[in-house]
Amino acid sequence: MSPLRNFLVASCFMIATAGSAIGGPVMDEIRKDDRLVCLVNTNSPAFSVPDSEGVYRGFNTDFCRMAAAAILGDAGKADIRGIGFSDSMKTIVAKGAHMASRSITNTGTRDANPGMRFVVTTFFDGQGFMVPRSLGVTSAKELSGATVCAEEGSTTLLNIADWFSDRGIQYRVENIADKTARLQAFFSGKCDVLASDRTALNSDRLLADDPEAYVILPEVISNEPLTLLSQPDAELEKALYWSFQVMLNAEALKVSSGNVDNVVADLADQPKSVQRLFGQDSAAGEMASQIGLPAEWSYNIIKQVGNYGEVYDRSLGTEDYGLERAGTANALFSQGGLMYPLPIR
Amino acid sequence: MSVMPRRITKAAVFWQAGFILLLVFALVLAVRNIDANLARAGISVSFDFLSSHAGFDINESLIPVSSESSYGEVLFAGAINTVVLSLICILGATFIGVVMGVLRTSNHYLGVRVALVYIEVMRNLPKLLILLALFLAAINTLPPVRQSWALHDMVFLSNRALYFPALEAGSGMRLLIVFACLWPVSLFVLGRVARRIQDTSGAVYPVFWPVTGFFAAVVAASVLFGWVDYPISYPVLQGFDFQGGHRISIQFLVLAAALSIYHGGQVAELVRGAIEAVPKGQFEASRATGLSFLQMMRLVVLPQAVRIVVPPMGNQYLNITKNTSIALAVGYSDLVSVMTTSINQTFRPIELMTLSMGVYLAICLAVSFAVNAYNARVSLRGG
Repeated sequence: MSPLRNFLVASCFMIATAGSAIGGPVMDEIRKDDRLVCLVNTNSPAFSVPDSEGVYRGFNTDFCRMAAAAILGDAGKADIRGIGFSDSMKTIVAKGAHMASRSITNTGTRDANPGMRFVVTTFFDGQGFMVPRSLGVTSAKELSGATVCAEEGSTTLLNIADWFSDRGIQYRVENIADKTARLQAFFSGKCDVLASDRTALNSDRLLADDPEAYVILPEVISNEPLTLLSQPDAELEKALYWSFQVMLNAEALKVSSGNVDNVVADLADQPKSVQRLFGQDSAAGEMASQIGLPAEWSYNIIKQVGNYGEVYDRSLGTEDYGLERAGTANALFSQGGLMYPLPIR
Repeated sequence: MSVMPRRITKAAVFWQAGFILLLVFALVLAVRNIDANLARAGISVSFDFLSSHAGFDINESLIPVSSESSYGEVLFAGAINTVVLSLICILGATFIGVVMGVLRTSNHYLGVRVALVYIEVMRNLPKLLILLALFLAAINTLPPVRQSWALHDMVFLSNRALYFPALEAGSGMRLLIVFACLWPVSLFVLGRVARRIQDTSGAVYPVFWPVTGFFAAVVAASVLFGWVDYPISYPVLQGFDFQGGHRISIQFLVLAAALSIYHGGQVAELVRGAIEAVPKGQFEASRATGLSFLQMMRLVVLPQAVRIVVPPMGNQYLNITKNTSIALAVGYSDLVSVMTTSINQTFRPIELMTLSMGVYLAICLAVSFAVNAYNARVSLRGG
C-alpha cells in the first residue's frame, strides 16, 4: 500500500472513531487496543507475584483484572506488567500504562501532579517497624541509636524522619535500593530495624529463614492509603471507582463469584439493592451506558474476579500469609472498618 | 610538495555559519517544545524547591545535614559523597591496575597467571553483580555490631561499619594540619634543590624519606613527651550502636573495593598495553646496565609508559566517576541516591536530573582537566 493511501485510510479511520467517541481519550485507547495496561509490583508476596507461567497473581493484580472485566468484558485482557516503585508513577505520567495497582500511597503532593489521578483506595496500610525478636524490643520508642533500613525513595524515609525527630530519638538510616541487599542487610543484623508498610513487613518476614524470629512492633507511624492510580481521564476514573464500589456492594449483599449466576438467574426474587446492582435496566445498566461500559459490567466483575472479601481472602487471608482483616481498617464499614460501599442507584 | 596556505573561502563561511545556525535553531526548538508541552500538562520548570525543607535523612555525609536541611544542602552532601567515592576508587583502581599490569608483563610465571585470571574475571563480569556479591558476602561474613571484631578495643569492624578512634580538635590537631601543609611544600622545594645539585655535580641526595622521617619524628616526639594535646574519642558500644570515634560504613568500603577491583582489571590492561609499547631495546639496555626488574620498571619503563597510558587512563577515571552511581543499590547516599529520593518527594524529575547531570559534568570536566594538565607535563615536547 502506498504511503499516501496509508495516510488517507488512517485519517478516515481517525475521523470515524473520533466521531463515535463517547469516552475520554484513554478509555478510547483501551477499547481500540482491546487491552488494558496495568502496572504492579515486580515481586511482593500475596500482592503480586508471577506464577509458574509468568502471569502476575495476587491482591493488587485482581484490581487490574477488575478493570479489564468492567471495561472490556474479559478479566484476561488486563496486560499486567511488573515495575519498580519509582518508575511506576513516571510511566503513568509518560502515558506508558493506563493504570497502576501497585501499593502506591495517595499523598497530596503526588495527587497534585496533573499527569496522574489517584482513584480509589483498595487497601488501608500503615507504616511500621520490624525487629529481630532477640533484641527484646517491644516498642519503637526504645529504638534510640538504632540503624533503620528502608526502601530508597519512598515516603517511608520521610515518615521515619518525622517520627523520630518529633520524639527526639537519634537514629541512623540506610536507604538501600536493591531489595535483596536491603533484606539481607536486615536479616544479617546490619540494620537493627526494617521500616516499611506493615503488609510489606509481613511479606518480607516470610522470606526469612525463620519468620518467627522477627516481630512487627505495634506502632503504626503513618497512614498509607494504597490507592489505584490512573491516567487522567474522567471516564476511566469513574469506571475504576465504581467497579470497586460494585465489589464492596457485592460483598455487603453476600453476592460472590460462586453464587452470582444463581442470583442473576432469578433476579426478580432478589432484594431491590441486588436488582439495582445487576439488572440490565437498573442503576448499574444506566451507569454502563453513561460511562461507556458493557451493559453486564457488574456481573463480569463479580463473576470473573469476585467481591472485595473474596479478593482479600484469596491473596491475603490465606494460611501462609495470614493477614487478619477483622478489626482492621480494611473490614467493611458495617463491621467497623473503612470499606464503605457507596450506593449504586 | 608544499602545503597550500589555508584560505578562508566564502563557501566555507557560508556552510559553517549555516551549520551553527541550524544547531541553534534545533536547540531553541527543543527547549520551546519541552516548555510548551510541560506548560500544557500544567508543569512549570522551577528550581525554587531547592531551598525548601527536604525532610529525609541520609546515611553518611561529610557536611552536617539532617532531616531539617533543604533539598539544596542534601543534594550538595550527596555530590560530596560522589566526589569522595570517585577519588578513592580512582586511587584504588590505579594502584591495583598498575600492580596487575606490571605483573602481567613480568617474566614471573605465577605472577603472570594470577594477573591474567584477575584481569579476565574482572573484565567479563558486570560491575553491579560484583558489587552485590561483595555486599552480600560482607554483611553475611562480618559479625553483627554487638559481636564486632575488635583490635585492642580501639578499632572495631562489624557488618555495619568500621569504627576507629577520632582525633578531636585541639593543639595536636593544629600541629598535624600545619605539618600536612608543610610536608608537600618542603618535598617540592627540597626536591628542586636536590635536582639542581644532581644536574650540576651529579651527587644524589635522597629527599622523600628524610623529609617524611623528620616530620614523623617530630609528631612522634610530640606524642611521647606530651608537647601538645591529642584529645582522642574512642568508639564505645552503647545500646544499638557505637558512639564516639569515626566510622566508615560497610557500603562505602564495599563500593570502594568493588569499583577499584572492577576498574583495576581495565586499568591493568591499559598499563600492559603501555608497557608493551615501550621499545624492546629499552628493556634490553636496562638489563645490560644491571638494573633489577623493579629498578628497570621504575626508572626506565614506567616513565615512558606513563606518556602512552595517560590519555586512556583519563577516560577510565571518567568512567569510574560515573560508575559510582551504582552506589544507590547498596544504600550509600551518593548524588543519584539523594536525587532519586528527592524526585519522589518533589516530583521534579526534569530539574533534578538536569542538576545532577550538571554536577556529573562538572566533576568529569575537572577530572579531565587534571588529566590533560598532567598529560601536557609528561608528554614529549617539540618534535
